[in-house]
Amino acid sequence: MKVSTLILYGCIFFTTFLPAEAIYKFDNSVEEKRFYSLISEIRCPKCTSGSIASSDVPVSRDLKQKVYELILTGSTDKEIKAYVTDRFGASSDYRPAFEGANYLLWFGPFIFLGILMLIFLSNRRL
Amino acid sequence: MSAIYRSLIILLPLIVLITYGTILIADKDDAFTYFESKELPQFDLQDLEDRKIDLAAFNGISLLNVWASWCITCLVEHPFLTQLSKNEITLIGLNYKDSQVKAKQWLGKRGDPYIFSIYDPRGDLAFDLGVTGAPETFLIFNQQIIGHIQGELNQEKWQSTFVPLINAVTQANQ
Repeated sequence: MKVSTLILYGCIFFTTFLPAEAIYKFDNSVEEKRFYSLISEIRCPKCTSGSIASSDVPVSRDLKQKVYELILTGSTDKEIKAYVTDRFGASSDYRPAFEGANYLLWFGPFIFLGILMLIFLSNRRL
Repeated sequence: MSAIYRSLIILLPLIVLITYGTILIADKDDAFTYFESKELPQFDLQDLEDRKIDLAAFNGISLLNVWASWCITCLVEHPFLTQLSKNEITLIGLNYKDSQVKAKQWLGKRGDPYIFSIYDPRGDLAFDLGVTGAPETFLIFNQQIIGHIQGELNQEKWQSTFVPLINAVTQANQ
């Protein structure tokens, strides 16, 4: 076996053992599940699109750390979401609350679909 | 009648396409000019010279500029900030995730346009402000944040975003 091939295999073999990101330790699996579901629902403020779970820019790292700390100190999911949107804006919540002006967000597509259906149906009758 | 409906079927998707197309093509900076006014968050930090921060500096109109010695774009906007400070605009620095020594060296080498710089090595105040990186600039009126620009502050953004806001608050408070 050539030395270069050996080095190549070595590189491939050893990189798999490098941890990609910080490890968050939790006392129980419920908190751990909450953490991973929360960070996948918070938008990375520095990215075009994507959650902080999928991003490693400094501000996403800070946000993940903050979510982690807030879970450990007993904050609810709602409190954590409010904490983040207070600072980084309502658009940082990928799952907007089901209330107020957000009804338009949730029902908008169905209203649009309804209008289209109406047009198609009345078109057939004529 | 069916001709109208048929044209609607073509027109509706076209309207949707044009609407979303305009949003996508529109200048991306505009997305950040919308800003909800909020109070300056409380903080427990000192300035780069280890002095207590005098919150009275945030009375009237002031700019809070997030900067760091590692930040390349801060270097680009530095001449414009210097020019603003000469035009009697209160400029306060927020030194973000930096080393105190390097920050002071940076100011010593290029000139200090700030009346003081808040030293925020862990980015605590920056996090509460919703800072995503450096540079960013906040427009503050009587301890209330009324404007926000992400990225380089230049003549163009100053004129289009901050000047109208400054005019609005000064007129309302006359």
